[in-house]
Amino acid sequence: MDAVWPIGLYFVLVVLLIGAMLVGSYVLGQRHDDRATGSPYEGGIVSEGSARVRFSARYYLIAMFFVVFDLEAVFIFSWAVAAKEVGWPGYWEIVIFIGVLVATLAYLWRLGALDWSGEPRRRREGKAMPQKL
Amino acid sequence: MSATGWFTLLPLFILGGASIAVMIAVAIRRSHALAVGLTLIGLALAFASLWVVAPETPRQVTALLIVDSYALFYMGLVIASTFAIVLLSHAYFERHEGNPEELYVLLLVAALGSAVLVASSNFISFFLGLEILSIALYALNAYLHTRRFPLEAGIKYLILAASSAAFLLFGMALIYAELGTMDFARIREMLTASPGASQVILLAGSALIITGFGFKLALVPFHLWTPDIYQGAPAPVAAFVATVSKGAMFALLLRYFYWSGSHHFGAVFLVFTVIAIASMVAGNILAMMQSNVKRVLAYSSIAHMGYVLVAFQAGGRLAVEAVTFYLVAYFITTIGAFGVVTMLSNSEREADEIADYRGLFWRRPVLASVFTAMLLSLAGIPVTAGFVAKFYVIDAGASSAIWLLVFVLIVSSVFGLYYYLRIVVAMYSGLHEEAAAPSSSLLPALSAGGGFVLAVLTILLVWVGVYPATLLQIIHSTVGRAL
Repeated sequence: MDAVWPIGLYFVLVVLLIGAMLVGSYVLGQRHDDRATGSPYEGGIVSEGSARVRFSARYYLIAMFFVVFDLEAVFIFSWAVAAKEVGWPGYWEIVIFIGVLVATLAYLWRLGALDWSGEPRRRREGKAMPQKL
Repeated sequence: MSATGWFTLLPLFILGGASIAVMIAVAIRRSHALAVGLTLIGLALAFASLWVVAPETPRQVTALLIVDSYALFYMGLVIASTFAIVLLSHAYFERHEGNPEELYVLLLVAALGSAVLVASSNFISFFLGLEILSIALYALNAYLHTRRFPLEAGIKYLILAASSAAFLLFGMALIYAELGTMDFARIREMLTASPGASQVILLAGSALIITGFGFKLALVPFHLWTPDIYQGAPAPVAAFVATVSKGAMFALLLRYFYWSGSHHFGAVFLVFTVIAIASMVAGNILAMMQSNVKRVLAYSSIAHMGYVLVAFQAGGRLAVEAVTFYLVAYFITTIGAFGVVTMLSNSEREADEIADYRGLFWRRPVLASVFTAMLLSLAGIPVTAGFVAKFYVIDAGASSAIWLLVFVLIVSSVFGLYYYLRIVVAMYSGLHEEAAAPSSSLLPALSAGGGFVLAVLTILLVWVGVYPATLLQIIHSTVGRAL
């Protein structure tokens, strides 16, 4: 338990500091209730419309693609900096990794997930292909 | 790393390759039969490859995976069960609108994750295998995403599995922080080599890891997700969650706690005793109150995991064999029971109310007989696999003199009889109400693949129940040798 006391002290200090900030601004701060006090931005241009904007479902699709491909880049980069050390086994591993990625990309392409513009180009076997993603 | 070391991972490579092959096949030509065919070929090849790599075992491949006869036996169990579930899925999804092809990619990926789990000898591969399995299961649970219950099941499973994975990771981190190793066998060495290690942190780590295991195995008090997910998920997927996912996790539980020696901590032993008793009692009592067959099966699976824990608690070689035998019997029976539910479900809804089974014997005698056999095996009636399995569990418990657990097992099994027999009675009653049966629409034709699976499972069930020597011999020479 001896080793734990600095963490306990740290928690206490954090609570004290935040409490002091909140209470201090409450006591010292001024209060007023003007016309624009309740609006999101008190200064500048008056905001228009609702903040709840509806995004197209494709927005999430693109966001997901970004995350997926970005993460893949991270893995390939971490292989690249150690390419000499990991040698041929590492090379074959990254080849398999990229091979799986290419296969997945081909699949997504065929599925029509990369068709941004409205109707999917291919509708096979006469039935509509719902978006899987 | 020598070439033969990699060679022993052949079953894993085949499973991974098969999932990619099925995915590409779906991209080229969308055909249910093609996807199923490729999946079955992949699984058959992976199963055959177990014999190819068997002479090379045991072999540690990298620091993460160990391929020994124990891992190979459980891989075989996983692959064979997935094979049966793929055939059942074909029958089930053939009747549904939409695209069933990707289901097989996910099933193969989940089987790959389970195979990694049973071969892990390190926290890293443990977590990787768990995530490969879980992420595939999230999507599998919600596969019929236009319906309400599967979607709900998927989201519930996602949230609960993700939070239990967080517990598990934190537990691993604590143990790593204290002992400086993630390897199961090294943990044991470090435990004896460094008596100065903080017991508080090690016990906290073990407790968090038990939480992770408890969630995946649906042990009380981590069981709350089970009935909802069994009820919501498509019947073949529920069979997968109940068998492959739990079996692989139990194989790992055995390996981890026996190898790392954590099982000999007094506190860990006590916790498992309490969890086992709670699972047996709560599972059996809650199952009595259900009117939904899938929920009954869910609670009964909670109780069954409690029974297996009794054998686990016994410790030693006999315990490993008893656990394995029980799991094999449980796999056969549970896949069979869910198989019957699958066969009776139509494209509108699943046959999951007990009312749907009223008078089933008079309409579908074969199916009703198969279901009866499965339920009797779950209850542990002689001449079925469930009886012999329960006998070995009690034998293991008695030889280690854990009388309290054995006593609870026997008493709660008696309660268990009630709800299994309730379904059986429903199936044989109501001859005269046949015309007014509410579920006369629930009579889709029995498909060839599904019928084949049910026939094989029933034969296995009786064979193991009457002549268990063959299975015992296999278990003895593979699993018993390894741990």
